[in-house]
Amino acid sequence: MSQDTPDFSNVESGSSSTATKVYEVVAGDSLSKIAKREYGNAGEWKRIYEANRDTLKDPDKIYPGQKLNIPPR
Amino acid sequence: MPKNYLLATLAALMLVLNACGKKDETRTVPAPAPAPAQIPAPASAGVTVQSIAVGSAIGVDKKVTRATDSFGSKDTIYATVDTTGSGTATLRAKWTYRKNGQETLVKEDKQTIAPTGPASNEFHVSKPDGWPAGDYQVEIFVGDKSAGTKNYTVK
Repeated sequence: MSQDTPDFSNVESGSSSTATKVYEVVAGDSLSKIAKREYGNAGEWKRIYEANRDTLKDPDKIYPGQKLNIPPR
Repeated sequence: MPKNYLLATLAALMLVLNACGKKDETRTVPAPAPAPAQIPAPASAGVTVQSIAVGSAIGVDKKVTRATDSFGSKDTIYATVDTTGSGTATLRAKWTYRKNGQETLVKEDKQTIAPTGPASNEFHVSKPDGWPAGDYQVEIFVGDKSAGTKNYTVK
């Protein structure tokens, strides 16, 4: 790659909020994976589960396209 | 004058006098009640960006604690976005590198938030092998609408 066009393909990024976030489930997700990504700790999946008890009956059953409320850390 | 004629005349006269003295009891059609005042829409329907800041560190409140527009090559760069309003909104951060009028996309990230009032939000980027020196910009969008930009440099 030339000097004029630096390679940014390995840039890492993230985001967070003091507000509740709305996350759309993608294929391959689990509450643990989402918790790891959002909170840095997979063990915090229960927080997400509790925040979505009205729509989640089983923490192991989430599906792509489903929207989950992610409470602020 | 025959008695019957006199009685009939008196009766007619009384009717006329009665009619003249009678109060007008017909009801006026009431003016239509004024339409109820429209409930004004919230001044800021939805979520709006109040301020954007960049820096090299943030606190737990998602606000910049070390504001700067000049970074080292190994720095994590934070862009914080304070919002007001409530509802659901998607915030997007578009990070670009700018050289000789050309713009190269560094990273684009988004988060959907559902605040019930003022909220603080942050985006951050880092590059393990170091940022190339030069000029950069981060642009924040709410939905598809630009809410502002911040320029910064990497030395």
